[in-house]
Order: sequence, then C-alpha cells, then structure tokens
Amino acid sequence: MNISIPTPGIRRRSVSGIWLRHAVSFLRYWKFVITWVIIEPVVVLVAVGLGIGKLVTEVEGADSYAEFVTPGLIMGSAMFHALFETSWNAYNRIDNDVYETALTTPITVTEITLGDILWAVTRAMMTTIGVAVFAAILGWLNGWSAIGILIPAVMVGAMFGTMGFLFAAVAPHTTFLTLVFTLVATPLYFFSGAFFPISILPDWVEPIAWAMPLTAGVHVARGFALGSFDITHLWAAIYIVLLTAIMWPAAIYLLRRRLIK
Amino acid sequence: MRNRAAHNASGTVIEVEDLHKDYGDIAAVDGITFSVDPGETYGLLGPNGAGKTTIMRMLVGLSPATSGTIAVAGINVVKDNRAVRELTGVVTQHDGLDGGLTVFQNLFLYGFLAGLSRARAKERAHEVLEFFGLRDRSKANVYELSGGMKRRLAIARSMMTSPSVIVMDEPTTGLDPQSRNRVWEELAELKDAGVTVLLSTHYMEEATILCDRLSIMDHGKILDEGTPDQMIERHAPPEVAQLRVAPAALRNVREYLTGRNITFREVGALVSVTGANGDRPDLSGLAGEEGVRTSYRAGNLEDVFLAITGRELRDG
Repeated sequence: MNISIPTPGIRRRSVSGIWLRHAVSFLRYWKFVITWVIIEPVVVLVAVGLGIGKLVTEVEGADSYAEFVTPGLIMGSAMFHALFETSWNAYNRIDNDVYETALTTPITVTEITLGDILWAVTRAMMTTIGVAVFAAILGWLNGWSAIGILIPAVMVGAMFGTMGFLFAAVAPHTTFLTLVFTLVATPLYFFSGAFFPISILPDWVEPIAWAMPLTAGVHVARGFALGSFDITHLWAAIYIVLLTAIMWPAAIYLLRRRLIK
Repeated sequence: MRNRAAHNASGTVIEVEDLHKDYGDIAAVDGITFSVDPGETYGLLGPNGAGKTTIMRMLVGLSPATSGTIAVAGINVVKDNRAVRELTGVVTQHDGLDGGLTVFQNLFLYGFLAGLSRARAKERAHEVLEFFGLRDRSKANVYELSGGMKRRLAIARSMMTSPSVIVMDEPTTGLDPQSRNRVWEELAELKDAGVTVLLSTHYMEEATILCDRLSIMDHGKILDEGTPDQMIERHAPPEVAQLRVAPAALRNVREYLTGRNITFREVGALVSVTGANGDRPDLSGLAGEEGVRTSYRAGNLEDVFLAITGRELRDG
C-alpha cells in the first residue's frame, strides 16, 4: 500500500508564481504568439463575416451574419488558446521537467493546475479582447457587448484550460496531442453553433451539439453580443461551471499520477 | 552564503529509517536506514538502478514512500512534505531548467515560487549568479549554456532560498573533468558555509573528495557505511597493481595470473591485480613481457565496491 501524499491548503503565492512564470515567458515571445492571439482569428472573422456574410442574408436573432458569427468565432479562439496552453505547452513542461523543478519548491500539483488554468484564462481573454475590439471597430459588436463577452471568455478559458490537462497528463508523446485538435477542438469549433444556429441541424444531431462544451460558451457569448438573454443562457453557464468542476479534480489526479511516482 | 544549520533534538538533519519503495513487484528501495549530521556531506554511492534517485525523490516528496519514515530537520516528510521543501534545496538529476526563460529569469522565478519577495528574489538571483561565476550569462537562453554551466545553474537555483540542507542527485554526471572540478570547488564552499549536503553519485572519485561519510548501495540496499577512509580500510587492499596490457599480450597475462592464483579484474585494456592479504602480488614473471606496463596505486572506493558486490561500479 502506498502512503498517499496529503494535499495541504492552496497558497495564493504558489498560484501567482506559476502564472508569473508563464507571463514572463510570454513576454519574451509575444511578437510571435500575438499573431495567433489576434491576427489569425481576425483574418478568419473578416473572411467569414464579409465572404459568407454576403451569401447569408437572414439569420435568426441577428441583423447580419457577421454579427451572428462574431461571438462564435471569439469563443472558438478562446477555446483553442486555452486548450493549447494546458495540452501542448503543459506537455512540454512535463517533458522538460519544468513542473518537477517547480515541485521542489513548496508548491503542490493542485496549485500548478490552478496557475496554468489561470494563464489559460489569461490567454483566452487576450484573444477575446483583441478580436472583440476589432469587431467593434467594424461595427459587428457594440462596445458594451465587447466588455460583456469577457465573462463567457473567462468561463470557456477555464473549462478548456482544465480539459487540456486531461490530455497532457496522459500523453505518451507530442503526436498524441494531435488528438486534442482532431477529436476535440476542430469538431467543437464547427458544431458548436459558432457558424450556424444549431436549430438547422437534423433533429438527432441537435442534442449532441448542445452537449458539446463549446456550444454553451457560444450561446452565452451570443447572449452578450446580441443583448438578449433568457433562462437557457443561465443553464448554459451552469453547464460550463459543472463541466469545469468535474474535470478539475480529474486533471489534478492525472497530473499528480504523472509527476509524483 | 552562510547558513544556519537546521537540526532537531537528536542532532541529525536527515533521518531515514527502514525506507521502502516498491514499483509493482520490484523493490527499488529495500529497507534503507541512514542519518546525516548538521554540516555533513553524505553520499549515496552506487551504480545506476541502485535506488539512489528514488531515495532523493522520496526525501522531498516527489515520490511517495511505500513504507518507512523520513524526517528532515525533525519534520516528517510523509506528513508534511511541503514544509520540508521550504527548507531544502533540491538539485534534480536532469537540471530541470526552464527553456522558456533566461538564466536570470530561471533563478528569479524559482525564488519567487519558493516564497521570496520579488525584490528579494531579484537580489538573491544576482548574488548566486555572482557566486557561481555566471553573471555574464544572466540574459542568455538556457539552451545556449554548456552542460557544465547548466549543472551549475541548477545548483545555483537550489541556493536561491539559502537552504540549510541541499539534496543533490548526481551533481556531476555527464560533465567534462574541468566542469566537474569547478562544481566540486563550489560544493566545497557550500560545505564551508555550513550547508548540509546529501548527494548521490556513481563516481568514486567524487564520493572520496566530497563526502564526509557515505553509504555503498546496490539493488535498493545499503551494503556498508562509513567515511571513505574507513571503507577503503575495511574492504580494499592497500595497494593495487595496474597492468596496461597490449591486446597481443593479454592471453599470456591471463594465464600467468590464473596460474599463480592471483585475483584480477579487467576493465578494457586495464588489468587490476588486487593481490592476496594485502601483500604485493608476485608479478616478477611479467616484468620482461612485451606490451605490459605495470604501475601501483592505493586501494580506492572502486575496489571497495568490487569487494562488497563482486561487480564493477562502472558497470551501471
């Protein structure tokens, strides 16, 4: 029988120390990362908003297709950044003993996950702010909506930041992490109601699409973007919080199993 | 770099008792007991796979013990490994430097994570860079450093919180002789400053030079413990003849030694003759042999390991 290592309380210093590490590292390479944080999603937004927007003349609840697609694309970008941070980047930190070194200081695996998720949220916010400001300039998002949309961005960042660990902690090699994008991110991106209303999908696909984690995020974000809410937005928000709350202990468990053996 | 030596009532800094670690059916650590006194440098000497790294990891909570007790400065590691990590500096086997950061940032962020204020972490990073002669590499990327510099940076990092205890897993494995000497000098200075050091190594020379006391380990067990001199006195012959033998002469030499019942071992082209009862073995018959050069050296920890385990330390 193994004597289990008890988890003492969470210290704010440890969490902010991990976050600070990521911020310092980001600032060294920001010129490169920013192309993905802002330029890439803006290119997609402009292409889809102007291009497909010309073909689509009518979409439920929005004045134009561009207005409809903007919150969806922003949440999609938030998802990609949060997922990438705690899958790909976290895997590299496992592989290069960055976490092991951190664990030789008085911090815990729980605090590592919190610091990383907090950074994933930060990245989700960066891309949200960048794209939202651009969309607001184009007139596809009004000023208050651009601020309000930060709320679902934080939620989506936390949810996918937590989910990424479930892959990183069990990945035998980086190629395995391709699955994060082929099996999770890309299908979610296209079937979460970002590009078209879920209601136009076949009846049997609809519930599946609603169960997908990004769908709830897009739904809440669209509520903010279009300025109309009903009870379904509350359910969606609760769904995100629940999923995150379920995945977090699993992420801690798997990462601890990987690092402490 | 003066440090206050932490110790408990019984006077020992590290106390390990009947420690076990099983991985499935394999006992990686199989009932280890030892203790380290304040200011002492204590070595775990053994080949790869002897269980040294596992012990080091258990000591700071990076690996849960299967059974047994570990106390560092009187703190029970099983109960509160966070408190142990607050006062222990750790140098892991693979440096664990952060490639996303500069040399200075590696130190600063480690110090901050370990609980120093930002101002103090910056100040301290400059101090240790100075001490380890890395000041001009402060802004370098980690991957630009040589192996020796990386190792010294990892040791420097463990000094960020001025710990009174340092646990070091193979401080100089893979380093060239010059870098190794440099690390040894710096470790000697830490010892002078009163830091208690537990290190693991499979270099007998390193153990001889650095350790006040050491354990010889194999297959998860401690085979014997003592000062390097005591160990050599106990287990090694006072003198060992070394024959450098050309390939053509190897057969003759083997036949000669076997014929006279002289025990010997071969490592590459080097034949070590340990002799019987500490007497100088009779090698007069080989004096004129073409391709054989004979020299004598004192017994060392390598001979001790061979005597206890029947194997070479370097076998791995």
